[in-house]
Amino acid sequence: MKNKILFSVTIIVVFLLGLLASSIINRKSEAKYKYVPKVIIAENEPRNEIWGQNFPKEYQSSLRTADTSYVSYQGGSQMRDMLEEDPRLVILWAGYGFSKDYNQGRGHAYAIEDIHNTLRTGGPKGEGDGPMPATCWTCKSPDVPRLMNEKGITEFYSGKWADKGAEVVNSIGCADCHDPENMKLRITRPALVEAFDAMGKDINQVTHNEMRSLVCAQCHVEYYFNKNIPGKEGVPYLVFPWENGMTVEDMESYYDDIEFSDWTHALSKAPMLKAQHPGYEIFTTGVHADRGVSCADCHMPYKSEGGQKFTDHHIQSPLNNVSNACQVCHREESTKLIANVYERQQKAHENRLHLEDLLVKAHLEAKKCWDLGATEDQMDAILTDIRHAQWRWDYSAASHGGSFHSPVETARVIGGGIVVAQEARIKLARLLSALGYNEPIEMPDISTKEKAQEFIGLDIETLKAQKAEFKKTLLPKWLEEAKQREAGYDSKKVASASN
Amino acid sequence: MKLRRLKILPPKGSIWRERAVFFLAVIIGMTHFLARESRITSYMTDDPQACVNCHVMTPVYNSWMHSSHREWANCNDCHVPHDNIVNKYYFKAKDGLYHASVFTARAEPDVIEIKEASQKVVQENCIRCHVQQVTQVKYDGWLEDHNENRTGRQCWSCHRTVPHGKVHGLSSIQYNIAPLPTDSNDNVVPAWLTEAIEEK
Repeated sequence: MKNKILFSVTIIVVFLLGLLASSIINRKSEAKYKYVPKVIIAENEPRNEIWGQNFPKEYQSSLRTADTSYVSYQGGSQMRDMLEEDPRLVILWAGYGFSKDYNQGRGHAYAIEDIHNTLRTGGPKGEGDGPMPATCWTCKSPDVPRLMNEKGITEFYSGKWADKGAEVVNSIGCADCHDPENMKLRITRPALVEAFDAMGKDINQVTHNEMRSLVCAQCHVEYYFNKNIPGKEGVPYLVFPWENGMTVEDMESYYDDIEFSDWTHALSKAPMLKAQHPGYEIFTTGVHADRGVSCADCHMPYKSEGGQKFTDHHIQSPLNNVSNACQVCHREESTKLIANVYERQQKAHENRLHLEDLLVKAHLEAKKCWDLGATEDQMDAILTDIRHAQWRWDYSAASHGGSFHSPVETARVIGGGIVVAQEARIKLARLLSALGYNEPIEMPDISTKEKAQEFIGLDIETLKAQKAEFKKTLLPKWLEEAKQREAGYDSKKVASASN
Repeated sequence: MKLRRLKILPPKGSIWRERAVFFLAVIIGMTHFLARESRITSYMTDDPQACVNCHVMTPVYNSWMHSSHREWANCNDCHVPHDNIVNKYYFKAKDGLYHASVFTARAEPDVIEIKEASQKVVQENCIRCHVQQVTQVKYDGWLEDHNENRTGRQCWSCHRTVPHGKVHGLSSIQYNIAPLPTDSNDNVVPAWLTEAIEEK
């Protein structure tokens, strides 16, 4: 009898254990079906809208970078013709693409459209044609990591901008910064990895918080095209000049050591450097960086919709989103905070304009020296000064947010630039006088963009006509070809969760 | 041997002997299977991922992940007592078994609310870390009115959104995903890119 009871009890125990096991397994599979993505995102999927199916909130907020309504004191999301606003820039960049056309950039959504439209990329008629190399696409699109993966890095940088026009069509988006597996931040541009290598650092050791700035530093940095890398001679290979450090002097000595110049100035014949946009470099010298604030903290702060907290992917000026961007830390009125930012920008701007004036005069005076028969020996030191002074001016101007990100460093750089520019002009005055010319040189009328461009001998009408022709003939072909290619992409839909 | 002494096993030669051995093995095997399926060892750790073994905890996990407390405090830092290790695991076992029973019975509410015993623990843990601000007059961070507030009410009577935000429950997350702690990145450079850089 005892045995029979024990037997029955054991059977019941085993049965209950089985039930419990089944319940645990059931609830675990439930968890799997609690989240089922709509699509499987492939590695290097360039189409943002595919990612958007799984992450609609982030995707839709990123679409708002197409909004061009916000204008701040020196930036915003509207396209602003910088040459029109300040025609002196035409003189500073004489002989270089930026004198043709230079606009305040719009949001990420316009990356592709704007590079199609700018006069700097010219009006290529087909493969192998046009003024710009393929390297110019590097920061424009999540198609870039896809192409680099398919072709190789050097192969991507090789050839003309027009060669890859049909390949690069999706504007800056998800795949540029995110791992499709788990949405973690990742680096997709080799130049940043290589720059870390050059500095003797391992980028894989950075923290998540650093990554929230470094994904931006893939592009918002100073760079140059190195055509002399052993084994890849002639290929304009994208390099960040960080080997000696990121300050204006560190990068200058780097460029001086390798005798690099972006172009030779059309008026002064100086071997010039074009600072691109050392936004990240200047940011790291500022107080916000010092306190551990990252780019994303202010440019893409948390946002709540219906009780759900997510990162706002409408990347924009924090001044258009003060409550989420600034007031999380700073308990002041937004008008007050904006006034604080403008004050820093205006004060930096004031001295930058002084430096700009000095540089315009120095270029014109150097031209006068050449016209009067100066020798290269006589000009050498002067041209180096012009190169260094304008590098400082550009370093502080081209980083756009620099005068807020790091007002003290920006002021220091501009101050240094003014000293060097004055040095150049003292040498110029001596040389002019030695050449028998001892009076102020005649200043051309550069009161408008058109007059300045005419003065440096640019034929803008022809450039515009070439661009119009390109947009009528070649561009539609590119877009059509891209459409065909993407139609062939395999977008893996996931079966609905109820199955 | 012990079992024999307890006389649970029937004597040798009885037909019940084999059945008993078989069923004992079934029970032991089943228990091991259960332990594995329920990831029972994870509950011995302080890893917040253990708390999202049950998917109903995903909303609170996510709100914590998006809070500044993420950097300093994991689930256990606030939700189990830290006065001594026995108490810690006793409370954890008690709370955990209660959670497990509710979850198994499918009786979990849409919005999970904290019970009284747990409130005491959390309150003490707030003070455990923020002790200087609320008790130590001599320190810089001392907040005068917190002397009264600390004893007269609970921290979250005022700090209502710390750290789980003002919206609780399932509607506070879009996806039932509990992201891994962000610093445990394996590599930030995708494998294909590392390879391509090395190749060049």
